[in-house]
Amino acid sequence: MIKASLRGLLHRKLRLTLAIVAIVLSVGFLSAITVLNDTLNKRFSGLFQTLNENVAVQVQAKEVSTGETPRLTAAQLQQLSNVDGVNGTSGDVSDEAVVPFKKDGNEVTAQGFVGVGASGDDPLGLISLREGTWPKTASEVALSANTAKLAGVKRGEIIKVFVSQVGEPKPYTVSGIVEFSGGRDSLAGESLVIFELGHAQEMFYGQKDVFAGASFSADSGVSQEELKKRITAALPSGFEAKTGDEVTEEQSNQLAGQFDFIKIILNTFAYVAAFVGIFLIYNTFNIVVAQRSRELALLRAMGASWGQVTGAVILEALIVGVVGSTLGLAAGIGAGMWGESALTGALGAEIKSAGVVVSPAAIITAYVIGILVTLIAAFVPAIKASLVPPLAAMREIARPDKSLKGLSITGAALAVPGVGIALLGLYASFTGSIFVMGFGLVLALIGLMLLSPLLARPVVRVVGMAVAWGQAGKLGVRNSLRNPRRTAVTAIALMIGVTLIGAAATVVSSFKHSLQADIGKYDVAIMIVGPNYAPPNGKTGFEASALDKVEALPGVTGAEPWWLTIESSIAGQPIPVVATDVAAAQKMWKLETVGGALRTLSAGEFVSDHNTAKSLNWKVGDSVKVRVGTTERDYKLVGIYKATPSVSGPVFGLPAVDDFEGKLAYQGFVTVAPGTDVAATVAATEKIMAGYPGVTVGDMSTFLKQFNQIFDFLLLAVTILLGMALLIAVLGILNTLLLSIVERTREMGLVRAIGLSRGGVVRMIGVESILISVFGALLGLAAGVGIGVLLCQALIEGDFLTEIVLPWGNLAAYVGAAMFFGIVAAIIPAWRAAKLDVLEAIAYE
Amino acid sequence: MAMQPAARAVTVWKIYGSGEAQVQALRGVSADFERGKYTAIMGPSGSGKSTLMHCLAGLDTVNAGEVFIGDTQVTGLGDAGLTKLRRDKVGFIFQQFNLLPTLTAEENIKLPLAIAGRAPDKAWYDTVIQTVGLGDRLHHRPAELSGGQQQRVACARALVSRPEVIFADEPTGNLDSKSGNDVLNFLRDSVRHHGQTIVMVTHDPNAASYADRVVFLADGEIVDELHSPTADGVLDRMKKLDRRGDADA
Repeated sequence: MIKASLRGLLHRKLRLTLAIVAIVLSVGFLSAITVLNDTLNKRFSGLFQTLNENVAVQVQAKEVSTGETPRLTAAQLQQLSNVDGVNGTSGDVSDEAVVPFKKDGNEVTAQGFVGVGASGDDPLGLISLREGTWPKTASEVALSANTAKLAGVKRGEIIKVFVSQVGEPKPYTVSGIVEFSGGRDSLAGESLVIFELGHAQEMFYGQKDVFAGASFSADSGVSQEELKKRITAALPSGFEAKTGDEVTEEQSNQLAGQFDFIKIILNTFAYVAAFVGIFLIYNTFNIVVAQRSRELALLRAMGASWGQVTGAVILEALIVGVVGSTLGLAAGIGAGMWGESALTGALGAEIKSAGVVVSPAAIITAYVIGILVTLIAAFVPAIKASLVPPLAAMREIARPDKSLKGLSITGAALAVPGVGIALLGLYASFTGSIFVMGFGLVLALIGLMLLSPLLARPVVRVVGMAVAWGQAGKLGVRNSLRNPRRTAVTAIALMIGVTLIGAAATVVSSFKHSLQADIGKYDVAIMIVGPNYAPPNGKTGFEASALDKVEALPGVTGAEPWWLTIESSIAGQPIPVVATDVAAAQKMWKLETVGGALRTLSAGEFVSDHNTAKSLNWKVGDSVKVRVGTTERDYKLVGIYKATPSVSGPVFGLPAVDDFEGKLAYQGFVTVAPGTDVAATVAATEKIMAGYPGVTVGDMSTFLKQFNQIFDFLLLAVTILLGMALLIAVLGILNTLLLSIVERTREMGLVRAIGLSRGGVVRMIGVESILISVFGALLGLAAGVGIGVLLCQALIEGDFLTEIVLPWGNLAAYVGAAMFFGIVAAIIPAWRAAKLDVLEAIAYE
Repeated sequence: MAMQPAARAVTVWKIYGSGEAQVQALRGVSADFERGKYTAIMGPSGSGKSTLMHCLAGLDTVNAGEVFIGDTQVTGLGDAGLTKLRRDKVGFIFQQFNLLPTLTAEENIKLPLAIAGRAPDKAWYDTVIQTVGLGDRLHHRPAELSGGQQQRVACARALVSRPEVIFADEPTGNLDSKSGNDVLNFLRDSVRHHGQTIVMVTHDPNAASYADRVVFLADGEIVDELHSPTADGVLDRMKKLDRRGDADA
């Protein structure tokens, strides 16, 4: 029995190959993403291991405090360095967003901008001089080799450097070039500027002889833990000590955290692709087993039991599943390695490769998905095959179409309440209503999938009228309708990807139109935006005083700075803190008062939009804990305004900026009198902002265009990430067609014998393919637009959107693309069918 | 000049395989199939009767010799030429699996015309439909028809485009005798009343007795023929052929 089954397996090479390809694609993408993640993680932690190579203990200011961030004095540092077991001591004088300029006046582009103060060789041996000298005066700097290369300067030349506390770029003479241990130009493609120690302390901390913290190396024989204990005993208040290992872990987790978002997205798309693959594998096995029902019946007639027949099919599935998963895993590891090197290459990082990481989780996931899905996919048709009375199957009695009634009723029973629950979640406001909406949508989607065989008939007929010309086309339409379940399952694989694209396109289109409509309501003509090379925290952007110069320009009626930090939390939630003159903002953005008053705020006061206030249960007069950087304070809610697509969220007064890391404003909005030359004003403002790295100035239409580009890019990214899911779906169509053609070999022979040309056969199969793909696309677009509209409605409820605009152009393009992919999927099956020998085909068993 | 035959084979050779395994299926067969006649090709299995029909119909290629359908030389035609030949000049009836399961009986009958993009001749179509005698079952799918009904639909389909010649490959092989006789009567009537040319391969003497002429094949050669045959006459010749085969062995 087992032998017969295995021999059968090898005899059906085509079907076998298709089933394995289906598994390889689904498992491969998922494995690739997992391997990529793990390998990147390892590489990042490797980065921080070198950074903290000789650090046994690090002393830092405690995380949260009220009031000023404490500094270590030189005396305190000296005291700590005298602790028994300390070998080297390195005081930390460093800052981010220290940006060097190139000779042409533009700022350097790099992966992060670091500035430090140093008085000579690094006691911990991370940085050493490659050429020249350490900076000796306040007008000298040393650069890392990477920085010198990026800025295009040599030792002895002048370089301009921007430090946020200084507020404008200042020229320095390059006294020397430094390198990192191991002779590296940089650690990870960042820029590094080294100032004379005292000068750096004055710039960063406003006084000499203070440090933000310190790192210590240990005498041999003293463990990190031991030294930590001894140093903690000698620490001034407000500081804490961590071992080098702890610091490394924290830092790599933090960096990995920044990639979490991308990881989650990539994983989501990988699971979508795997989910689509399930349909492909299921359909393949279903057809393969259905086609073998005669053979299985013969075995049954010869006395094989129900269990033996089912067991034989399951064994086959198991073998195919193991082979497919293994190949998929191998392909995934290869793709993951390639992706990792491409990604780190693109970052320009000189991080040493830590080797490819294949975690047990990746292996387990690959095999579980590959084998489990294959077994499930094979089990259903195996049971069906074993239940057919042996003689009926052997005589090949044309089996009547199975009724779609039960399936359709179940589908409707899920879809209708699903839509209802989704609407309930949308309009009812209770905690977790968004999850209720999501649950409803999932129900509705499953319902739609179950209903799709029923929908196939009318939709395919109507679409068929458009694409099926000639008798060959009509035969193609009939063929795609003869097994609605098969057509539907094949189409659903495509539907899943298209649903997500359709939803994204609807939301993006509505966003673009709403923003355009909303921006038009205000007098704001020019916008100034800070740089995006670092998260906003007050250290990037421009000085508020620069806007005074803008306000003095002819025709300008107002120029208001906004400060922004994302190193903050409000009522425990990670919400950015935004600060401005609320009275001016109220006028400029026509904010509508819902409660309290919108006025210039004093210390300890803030206002909020009504949606945030509602969702966090705030009332005017409530006190809320707000953390900015390391400082936490109580703020009182004094006013509530109505959210608009342009302005929403909590807004604070100017006193809150004192807690920011720096004093730089991140955004500026300029209003002008009617008839003012906006282009000239933009040019003049640009000149004023020229010294602030990364600050861009533009009129509203420029910014709208930029926003639109960002939205379009997001949509493109979603489409590309869904590419694998779409590819698998197209492969599914190809698969179904190939197997159907094997099944219909004799029919092909017959139609050829009564005069259908080769071209006719090609057209017949092409039409069937197009119908399946367009049906899938239409299902997906219906579902996607539905979901998109619901999401938009939810966003309108939250005042992020004002209108829903369907992206008709995109939708039409998607249907066109589906047609194209349908044609592509038909190429191989049509070619195979066209070259069939008529006589052999008719005699085909 | 005598009337041109509907189909003609001129010293046709068909050889399968090579060396030891070589099989000479047809060995210089020459035969004319007259217009408006019903010809049966008979012979024991392995005699080459099916091969001859396949070569005549352009379904198979020949190694030597020439085949004509009407004035068209079939041998040497490419795929496009063969397709056109099948559309315009040839009709087929197979032993089994003769109809497309997705089409109704009526659609199956009209399929050759639809493929060729021709409109059916209304009067002729009605005549065919009437003769086929399906009545209200015209709009049923093949799965809902009996074997005999299916085969009559296949006959009607072959007739409806009025081909120069219809090739029937064991058309009654899968039918009970009552249904088989219905089909054979139907074919004979189409020859008698409408001047259709039919070439039929069979091994059933009863089926052959419906023909105007029976051509006997043995070992790839035409060995005998019989005009206005009866079932018993055909059976006699067949027995002789079998004996000949036994003597050879």
